[in-house]
Amino acid sequence: MKARSPAEVALSLGVLALGIGVAAGTSMLPSEGGYAGIGPNFVPGVVGAGLVLLGGWLTYEALAGGWRGAPPDDPAERGEHAFHLPSFAWISIGLFAHMALIGTGGFVVAGVALFACVARGFGSARPVRDIAIALVLSLSVFVFFVKLLNVGLPAGWLAPLLGAAGI
Amino acid sequence: MEALDALLHGFGIALQPMNLLWGFIGVTLGTFIGVLPGVGPALTVAMLLPLTVKLDPTGALIMFAGIYYGAMFGGSTTTILLNTPGESASIATALEGNKMAKAGRAGPALATSAIGSFVAGTIATVLLTLVAPLVVDLALKFGPAEYFSLMVFAFITVSAVLGSSTVRGLTSLFLGLFLGIIGIDSQTGQARFAFGVPELLDGVDVVVLAVGLFAVGEALYVAAYQSRLTETMERMSGSIMMSAEDWKRSWPAWLRATAIGFPFGTIPAGGSEIPTFLSYAIEKKLSKHPEEFGNGAIEGVAGPEAANNAAATGVLVPLLTLGIPTSATAAILLGAFQNYGLQPGPLLFQSQTDLVWGLIASLYIGNIILLILNLPLIGIWVKVLSIPRDLLYAGILVFATLGAYSLHQSWVDLLTLYVFGLLGFAMRRWDIPVGPAVIGLILGPLAETQFRRALSISQGDATVFFTQPISATFLAITAALIVLPWVMRRFRRG
Repeated sequence: MKARSPAEVALSLGVLALGIGVAAGTSMLPSEGGYAGIGPNFVPGVVGAGLVLLGGWLTYEALAGGWRGAPPDDPAERGEHAFHLPSFAWISIGLFAHMALIGTGGFVVAGVALFACVARGFGSARPVRDIAIALVLSLSVFVFFVKLLNVGLPAGWLAPLLGAAGI
Repeated sequence: MEALDALLHGFGIALQPMNLLWGFIGVTLGTFIGVLPGVGPALTVAMLLPLTVKLDPTGALIMFAGIYYGAMFGGSTTTILLNTPGESASIATALEGNKMAKAGRAGPALATSAIGSFVAGTIATVLLTLVAPLVVDLALKFGPAEYFSLMVFAFITVSAVLGSSTVRGLTSLFLGLFLGIIGIDSQTGQARFAFGVPELLDGVDVVVLAVGLFAVGEALYVAAYQSRLTETMERMSGSIMMSAEDWKRSWPAWLRATAIGFPFGTIPAGGSEIPTFLSYAIEKKLSKHPEEFGNGAIEGVAGPEAANNAAATGVLVPLLTLGIPTSATAAILLGAFQNYGLQPGPLLFQSQTDLVWGLIASLYIGNIILLILNLPLIGIWVKVLSIPRDLLYAGILVFATLGAYSLHQSWVDLLTLYVFGLLGFAMRRWDIPVGPAVIGLILGPLAETQFRRALSISQGDATVFFTQPISATFLAITAALIVLPWVMRRFRRG
């Protein structure tokens, strides 16, 4: 018995841990259920038990030759290139920058940051072009949502500018 | 005929100028976004869900039906020209359609796909019109026990029976069920697994899960494993006209595929994947030119595309009449209903006649608009395909985050979105299906409600699920689906 892929083992144990977590959380929920005889803790208990069983089953498969029918670990066999960390990181940075900026900088600023980072992650080498396109896109979406749909979006740092433009 | 009266009434609603406009906007937006590579119908519907917050339910749902159909049509264009199927149901089309495009026959491939989708969609909508009232009559006899057993049946078929691995399908389902528990318990008001975070008390929104899995997960995956590959797009050259020979070979395939697709759509068999492959196999078997299969046989595009659309319409039968989503896209559509406090099911046919029949009538109109949008205007959609991938994914993520943020105007939903993105990345990489998770999230809380209601009525007696005949039948079929394949394997082996 040799594990084919450490990642599969880790994911399997993750499912198992989640199941144990759900079961532990369930034990803190009340069980009184009126006429039905079951309370709000019954279904969480079933789901927790299910996740524990599935986690165990996945772990068994991962240790006994690997998950059945899973894609090959070698990216070339999948017709793909090796995991490219900078790309993955740029997209994550973009999403976190967006999270951090949307409350303060506003929708347009956060959108531009996200757009530029994601484009960079996909190999764009033209940040000025990306920012220009992002500005046009975010501004149009902002105007469309705020003016036409009456959905509030934060104006943030651009509030004085947008206000002066009548938006 | 009762159904005909209801349908005529529905046309009266759907043809009102505003509803017609919403339908038109829906199919156009659906086609536009569905054409984008890597964006399937499920993500299209999920990304556009926040648009509807301020619309009236009838207009909004007519728009969503249009988006649903449009995304299906748009997806075929991408599959044929780029060979990157946006969803599993397009894989069969990709086999032949892309080969046809490579051979300079992109036009007829797109035409047979668009006309076939129209024919299948229209016939399937007629069937929906006829079948829905019958199912509604039956469903009115259902109590909580019957609904619960039916939902269990749906859970098992979409997760355990289909797909490459039973255990991974079930894991995805249980993840969805767990996410469905988070929030306030509808029966007792007890908070569950919310950890005191106000955003979680509302429960996990289907938009955040679907957009996280489909958009953020997909972007992370493609960036990590495919962003340094070069893509080739087939040119749209020549006429889109089909020759007499093309017609002769296409129309029997459309009709056969409709006959396969619609019934498969109505049962909980995970949407369009099985019927498209089945149609492909049947066309290959019946064709007078079997040698062309694998090299661009027109039947191999006509059949699967028609089957896909017929199944997509068939999915609306259990969704509208029973409130049971049988595909990820249908689960998100159910989320759209829930946003308006509407629960699809037999009672909706009685309480919201205008909405339901207006929606069904709009499907007929949507099919016609889509035929016009996809044949003469095909050139526009082909241009959409040439958007560079870096800008494409950047744009998709701007809309994805907008959808999540507009729920509570809170960054917490954006963090949840990123976590689901990581989950989607892992699920894509290790081949864990995402559909069961989305269905589990939406259907899980409904199943729990029915389960507890059934037990309340029976005073806690759990045998009620086995003693009511309809409920027992559903559970028996479910058990057979699990046990039979296992028994047959044993039998064959020994």
